[in-house]
Amino acid sequence: MKKLLKIMLLGCLSMSVHAEEAKLEKIQVPKDKPSIARGAEDWINNCLTCHTMKYVKYRDLLSLGIDKAKVDGWRGEASLDTPLTAQMPDAVAMATFAKLPPDLSLMAQARDGGPNYVYSYLIGYYVKPDGSVGNHIFAETKMPDPLGISSAANAAERADKQKTARSIVTFLTWAADPHAGERDTLGKYVIVYLVVLSALLYAVKKQIWSRLK
Amino acid sequence: MENDVKEGGDRRNFLIKLTSVVGGAGVAAACVPFVSSMNPTSDVLAKAETEVDLSGIPPGGVHTVAWEGKPVFVLHRTPEEIAAAQASNGVIDPEPDAKRVKKPEWLIVIGVCTHMGCVPTKEGPGWTCHCHGSQYDDSGRVVRGPAPKNLEVPPYHFESDTKIIIGKA
Amino acid sequence: MSGPIINWIDKRFPLTSFVKHELTDYPTPRNLSYWWNFGFLAGIVLVLQVATGIFLAMHYKADATLAFDSIQHIMREVNYGWLLRYMHAVGASAFFFVIFVHMARTLYYGSFRAPRELLWWTGQGLLLMLMATAFMGYLLPWGQMSFWGATVITNLFKVTPFIGDDIVIWLRGDYSVGDDTLTRFFSLHYLFPFLIIGAVIVHLVALHTVKSSNPSGIDLKAKDNIPFHPYFTAKDLYGLGIFLIVYSVFVFFIPNSLIEPANNVPANPMVTPSHIVPEWYFLPFYAILRSVPNMFGGVVAMALSVMMFAFMPFLDRSRIPGGARYRPIYRLQFYLFLIDMLVLGYVGYVPPTNHNIVIVGQVATFCYFASFFVVPFVSKMEENWLIKRGLPEGIMELMEREKRDLEARKEEQGRRKGDRI
Repeated sequence: MKKLLKIMLLGCLSMSVHAEEAKLEKIQVPKDKPSIARGAEDWINNCLTCHTMKYVKYRDLLSLGIDKAKVDGWRGEASLDTPLTAQMPDAVAMATFAKLPPDLSLMAQARDGGPNYVYSYLIGYYVKPDGSVGNHIFAETKMPDPLGISSAANAAERADKQKTARSIVTFLTWAADPHAGERDTLGKYVIVYLVVLSALLYAVKKQIWSRLK
Repeated sequence: MENDVKEGGDRRNFLIKLTSVVGGAGVAAACVPFVSSMNPTSDVLAKAETEVDLSGIPPGGVHTVAWEGKPVFVLHRTPEEIAAAQASNGVIDPEPDAKRVKKPEWLIVIGVCTHMGCVPTKEGPGWTCHCHGSQYDDSGRVVRGPAPKNLEVPPYHFESDTKIIIGKA
Repeated sequence: MSGPIINWIDKRFPLTSFVKHELTDYPTPRNLSYWWNFGFLAGIVLVLQVATGIFLAMHYKADATLAFDSIQHIMREVNYGWLLRYMHAVGASAFFFVIFVHMARTLYYGSFRAPRELLWWTGQGLLLMLMATAFMGYLLPWGQMSFWGATVITNLFKVTPFIGDDIVIWLRGDYSVGDDTLTRFFSLHYLFPFLIIGAVIVHLVALHTVKSSNPSGIDLKAKDNIPFHPYFTAKDLYGLGIFLIVYSVFVFFIPNSLIEPANNVPANPMVTPSHIVPEWYFLPFYAILRSVPNMFGGVVAMALSVMMFAFMPFLDRSRIPGGARYRPIYRLQFYLFLIDMLVLGYVGYVPPTNHNIVIVGQVATFCYFASFFVVPFVSKMEENWLIKRGLPEGIMELMEREKRDLEARKEEQGRRKGDRI
C-alpha cells in the first residue's frame, strides 16, 4: 500500500513539472533586502520608463530599506501611496509599439519558468544575420533590447549586463510575492511545531492502544 | 463505567496533558492570522498620516481634511477668535486653549461630535452639531450639551510653517 | 460528564447520550488501518476551507473589474492575507487528494459493497458537489486560466439537446463568461460548502447505521469492536499531524506549484493562453473529454467517467469478502486502474497536438471504462477459481452463512408477499 501512495505522489509531482520549449537559464534568486533594494534601483533605472507596477507603491520601497531621499527623488510630486507608474504616457506607447507594455508586478510568476524565464528573456537578445535584433526566448517580442546585451562589446560588458538582469529579476521576484520571506520564516516554525506535535500524538496513540491486549 | 475510569486515568496522564497543552496552543496560534486579517490592512494603515498644506487657508477660514476616514477641521483663527478662545476655559469639559493648540493661529480638531459621532457644522463662532444640538467654541470646546467632551485634538506636528502632518505628534 | 448544566440540558436534549452513542462509545473495528483516517481528514479540510473562505470573502470583490486587484490586495495588504489565500488554494488540492485516497481505499477493500451502497452513493454525491465548488471557486481570481477554464466547462452544456446554446447563456448570464458569471459563481461558491456540510451529515448518518467496514471485509463480532474514543480519536489526530506537515510544506514553501502561471495574468476575453489545463484533480476526466472525437460523446463520456464509481455495488457481485485483500485478481485490476488514471492524468496535462498522445489517451479511456465493465465477469471467474483452489476455513463458513441468510431473507419476503395476497 505504501507503493500506492508513492505512485500517487509521483503522479502529482510529474504533473507540476513544466515542459519548456526554449532552454531557460537557471538562476538562484537572492532573498535578502539589500539585494532586492539594489534590484529596485536597477528596475527603476531600466524599466520604469515604459513599465508600470500597479501593485507596488513607493511606500513599499521604503520597507526595503531604501533611503527616503532617494525614493522622494523618484516619486517627485506623487504621494508615497502612488504605484510605480510608467513615465511614458499610454498614447505614446501605443504609437511606438502598437501595444501597451505589460504591468510587471506579477511578471516573475506569470510565465512558465518564473524568474528563470524573465532572466533568460532579458539576456536572450542577439544580433541576427540580417543585422536586426532578435530574442531566443520570446521571438515576437516588441520590447527593444533594454540592457543592450546584444551589442555588448566583450565578455566583461556582457557579464556586467547579466548582473543587472539578475538584479532586476531579484526585484521582480520580490514584487510578485512580497511576503515570501515572512512566509519562509513562519513556515519553518510551523513545521518544527507540527513535527513535535505529531511525535507527541504518536506517543499518545501508542500509549492508548497499548491498553488493548 | 469502565470508560469513565479510563478517562479519569487519561486526565491524570502527563503525556496526554502535555499533548493537549501543545495542541491547544497550536490551535490558539492558528486563530491569530484569522483574527488579525480583520484588522485594518496595511494600505489603510498607510493612510494614518495626512499632509495638510496651510498656505491656502485665509484667516477665519476653515478646511476639512480626511484623516483615518474622519473629518479633521483646520481653522485659521483671527486675533479676535484667539482672544475669545483664550479668555474662557470652556464650560462642560474645562481645558485651557493653550493646551489645545500648538500655534494659537491654528486649531486642529477631529470634527466628530463627542456625543454620537455626527459631524458638527461651522456656524458663527464655533460649531453646532445638528443631530442633538451640541455646541462648540472656536477652541473646539463644548459649550452646550448633550456632548460630554471637547472635540478631540488629533496627534499632529508642523513640518514647516505652512505644512502639518496629522497622525504623528 | 455530570454537573447541573449538563443535567439540565440532558433533560431537554439528548446531548450526553448522543455524544456517548455516536462518539465515545461508538463501536469501531479494532483492525482499521491508517487508510481509514482519510474520512476524518476530509472533514478537517472541509472545516479549513470554510474557515479560510469566510475570511477571504471579507476582502474579496466579486466584480470583473475588481476581482483580480482584490486578490492582490489580499496577497499584499491584508494581514496574513497571503496565508489565508495559500491555505485556501492548497486546501482545494488537499481536499481532492484526501478524497481520492478515501475513494481508493473504499474500492480496494470493497467497502462499497452491501450493506454500504447508500453510504457510497452519498459519497459520490459529495464528490460531484466538491467538483462543482472547486470549479466555481477557480473562476474567482479572474486570471487567464480562471476565465478560459470557466469558458470551456460552461461550453460543455452546449451538448444538451435542443436548448444547449440557451443553457450556456443562462449559466453565464451573458454571451460569454463575464461579470454576471463571476458574481453568480461567487454566490454559489459560498453556498455549496454548506450544502456539502449537510451532505456530510447524511454521509455520517449512513455510516453510523451500517458501521465502518474494515480491512478483513467481514463484519466483526462485538468483541472485536472498540470504542471510537479514545482509540480512534488518538489515531485520527496522529494522522492529522502528519497530514498537516505535508499541507504546511505546500502552503509555506511551494504554494505556487499548484497555481498555473497563466492565472497571474488578468482575464482577457480576447486572447486564449496557448496551453490551457485544468487543475490536476480534473486532469483524468479532462483527458477523457478530449479523447472522444465527437463533442457530444466526449461530454457524455466525461460525465459518465465520474459516475462510473456509483455502479460498483452492482458490478462487483463476488461472494468473496474483503475486497482486494483476499482477491488477487481484483487487486491486480485495482492497481491497473490506478495506473490508467495516472496515464489519463498525464494525457490531460500535455497539449493535444501530439498524435501519439491522442492515441494513448483513447486507449487509456477505453481501458478506464473497460475496467468497470469487466468487473462482473472477472469477479465471477475469480470467485470460482478461488473456491476451487480452497479458501481459509472461516471464509468458506462465512460465505455459506451469508448464502443461507440471503435465502432465508428471500423466503421471508416471499411469505410476506403471500400474506398480502
